[in-house]
Amino acid sequence: MEAIFIVPAIVLGLPWIIFHYITKWKTAATITTDDEALLDELYQLAKRLDERMDTVERLVASDNPDFKPARILHDRELDNEPLRELDRLLAEKKGARR
Amino acid sequence: MTSPRTTLYRDKQNGKFMGVCAGIADYTGVDVIWVRIALVLAVCTPAVNGIILPAYFIAGMFLTKKPAHLYVDEQEQRYWQRVRQSPKRTAREIRARFRDIDRRLADVETYYVTSNPRLSAEIERLR
Repeated sequence: MEAIFIVPAIVLGLPWIIFHYITKWKTAATITTDDEALLDELYQLAKRLDERMDTVERLVASDNPDFKPARILHDRELDNEPLRELDRLLAEKKGARR
Repeated sequence: MTSPRTTLYRDKQNGKFMGVCAGIADYTGVDVIWVRIALVLAVCTPAVNGIILPAYFIAGMFLTKKPAHLYVDEQEQRYWQRVRQSPKRTAREIRARFRDIDRRLADVETYYVTSNPRLSAEIERLR
């Protein structure tokens, strides 16, 4: 009696599930060779432009000392001062709680 | 599937046995140790070990070996791993990089247009 349900389930159900996912996988957004070439070119271009921009910024900064390239720099006194203040306040708060 | 950077290879150089695990790790960007642990766990699980081992050997036989100089450096390898994970997100990241460069260039331009150091230097010299 059970075989009546199990055999069709395996014979029909399993391939159905497999082919369902195969078609889903095939229709999923994949990139073509052209897309890949385009992405490669964009990557190389962005890298080159980044390096050139670095060079230009360095040249401008060496010619004009007052030119500061706007970028995130770490460990600057301007940022460290409020951070130290914050640390101090946090330590105080911790001390008060105890 | 003729595009060389989005195909699954087996990475014989970094592999232990046939390089299938290393190839999957290289394709997905997951660390190779996790792929190997998953394989061992799958082999130890009775429900799937009849599928996994033949699948491993079939993959080992049919996948082509990874070309030696596919990527120039590690950064490029990671870039292509992200492309394989999600091309859309990578395109957005590239756009962000271009916008960043545009912004920096605009900064330099603004500096030269507003302060114009060379012009003021010339004026100083004429005085």
